[in-house]
Amino acid sequence: MEEVILEIKDLKTYFYSDKSVVPAVNGIDLLVRKGETLGIVGESGCGKSVTCLSILRLIPDPPGKIVGGQILFKGEDLLAKTEAEMRAVRGNSISMIFQEPMTSLNPVFTVGDQLSEAIRLHQGVAKKEAKQKAIDMLKQVGVPAPEQRAREYPHQLSGGMRQRVMIAMAISCNPDLLLADEPTTALDVTIQAQILEMMRDLKDRLGMAIILITHDMGVVAEMADQILVMYAGKAVECATVKTIYKNPMHPYTVGLLDSIPRMDVDVEKLHVIEGVLPDLSNMPEACCFEPRCPDARSICSQKEPDLEQVGDSLVRCWKYCPEWRQ
Amino acid sequence: MEKLEMEPLVHTVGIKKYYPIKRGVLQKTIGHVKAVDGVDLYINKGEALGIVGESGCGKSTLGKVILQLQPQTEGKVFFEGQDLSQLGKEAMRETRKKIQVIYQDPYASLNPRMTVEQSIGDPIDVFKLARGEEKRQIIIQLLKDVGLSESHLKRYPHEFSGGQRQRIGIARALAVNPGLIVCDEPVSALDVSVRSQVLNLLQELKSRFNLTYLFISHDLSVVRHLCDRVAVMYLGKIIESAPTREFFVLPLHPYSKALLSAVPIPDPAISRDRIILSGDVPNPANPPEGCRFHTRCPYKTDLCVAQEPILRQAGNNHYVACHEF
Repeated sequence: MEEVILEIKDLKTYFYSDKSVVPAVNGIDLLVRKGETLGIVGESGCGKSVTCLSILRLIPDPPGKIVGGQILFKGEDLLAKTEAEMRAVRGNSISMIFQEPMTSLNPVFTVGDQLSEAIRLHQGVAKKEAKQKAIDMLKQVGVPAPEQRAREYPHQLSGGMRQRVMIAMAISCNPDLLLADEPTTALDVTIQAQILEMMRDLKDRLGMAIILITHDMGVVAEMADQILVMYAGKAVECATVKTIYKNPMHPYTVGLLDSIPRMDVDVEKLHVIEGVLPDLSNMPEACCFEPRCPDARSICSQKEPDLEQVGDSLVRCWKYCPEWRQ
Repeated sequence: MEKLEMEPLVHTVGIKKYYPIKRGVLQKTIGHVKAVDGVDLYINKGEALGIVGESGCGKSTLGKVILQLQPQTEGKVFFEGQDLSQLGKEAMRETRKKIQVIYQDPYASLNPRMTVEQSIGDPIDVFKLARGEEKRQIIIQLLKDVGLSESHLKRYPHEFSGGQRQRIGIARALAVNPGLIVCDEPVSALDVSVRSQVLNLLQELKSRFNLTYLFISHDLSVVRHLCDRVAVMYLGKIIESAPTREFFVLPLHPYSKALLSAVPIPDPAISRDRIILSGDVPNPANPPEGCRFHTRCPYKTDLCVAQEPILRQAGNNHYVACHEF
């Protein structure tokens, strides 16, 4: 077994408003090993982005606050670090790429300047050397004519090129862990294919671990080794990619997989998960999926199930507990 | 281009839509963005035609021209055999009733200060179709048709989720009994579990009211599920059109093949050869000479650089614009 890079134990991140408390992440456990890709899937508002931002301690406070749990990065608890120590971690050993590359790049600096800033900051090299390294990084992520591109501004680049620049920036300090929050959602499919291919290649070459956040079950099937399915701030299922697609256990995972139109399978009518996502500020004490669950029984609305080992998967559902048969 | 057996509901001849690029103090036109550059298509009654392509290929502009929300630079749009550019103001108003639209963003396409009743009632008022209690009954029936209920009448858009708002948008489009509905990325902004609900609704309404859809989407799997026929656009032109089933089994154009192979399949057990295109889509203000795809095409020849291929028949109802055929 490869060494564990990141372990999260019972992470809770809440957002506070005058009227209510929104438990955006409410008890997430996960584990990422070296060179492994963990895919976090779920619908909007399920807490997948907040989990990522919590790892880097980028939750705006107020209104947000990490209220509990541990985030162990190579054995050290990130939540116990000072702000100055965190700055040394961010962009250096853990880095992140975001969904919208245009808003994450500074429009008034050239691409080369922005890239070399991160390199100079974390590696303490001279300006000239950093510039050269920036050009090397652009080459690594497949930007054609990198010398010229380094002198250009973000608005001169296409969406795919911008995302390549973001990735170059993220990997420029050889991070142990890359957080990718919907990295291809804003891109066209043919460009998405290019970027995903490049990320796979980089992962193999640099041996970093990736946490890939996406709502696209297709992207995650191709990229991830492990999958964590989130629903309303909680992990509902966690297993290897093969297990999840072959044998989904949680009714939500089953519904999610059935409700997407497929390129390779014909269906007359799409499967539908009835109802809507629950309001996070007013969550039931019991299973959060119970109001939409086709298999719900009385126990589901009384008590919340725990994440239990069932076969090869971790599942949070009463269906697989001994209490179910009573 | 395409031989017609029966009169289609809509057909277009050589539609072009250029947007001028203006520069300088005098706002001199220095060039054009050729958003749509010569499109011929037809949609039969009761059919769903899917227009697919990447961002910037002109699919939304094509939709706007067919809706006549933007005048075309060149070419003609025929609806029920009538040339829309020849219609007078009054006749055009009547025709507008028959062509409705559903937009991508359900948050932006509803007026936040109007209740559901007002929003759906608006087109009924505009075309003076009903008043008072009769109008109310029509609205209630429409809400039921799209899976909402009478209790939603007096609510405002912010009280609804994305999927429900999209249902309100659909009810509003249905309010005037349209023949054609232009759906511009109607499910792209929705979550997976809600998306299937709306797709099923669109499918059900189509067969119930014998609707015709022009379905604009970048999501091939959605188009495959809902549409009868597919047209692929690249840089303002249709490069292939075929019946859905045939297209997804046997795409002919190299771009269509690459597009299909790029769609991730949600099953890790399936591995397949992926065609990864190099480079980006060229600038539509300055499209490449010859075949527009030749800058990214893995099979390009000298002919492709020199001459632009036209859309030719390559099978039953299957048309492709590539020199290889």
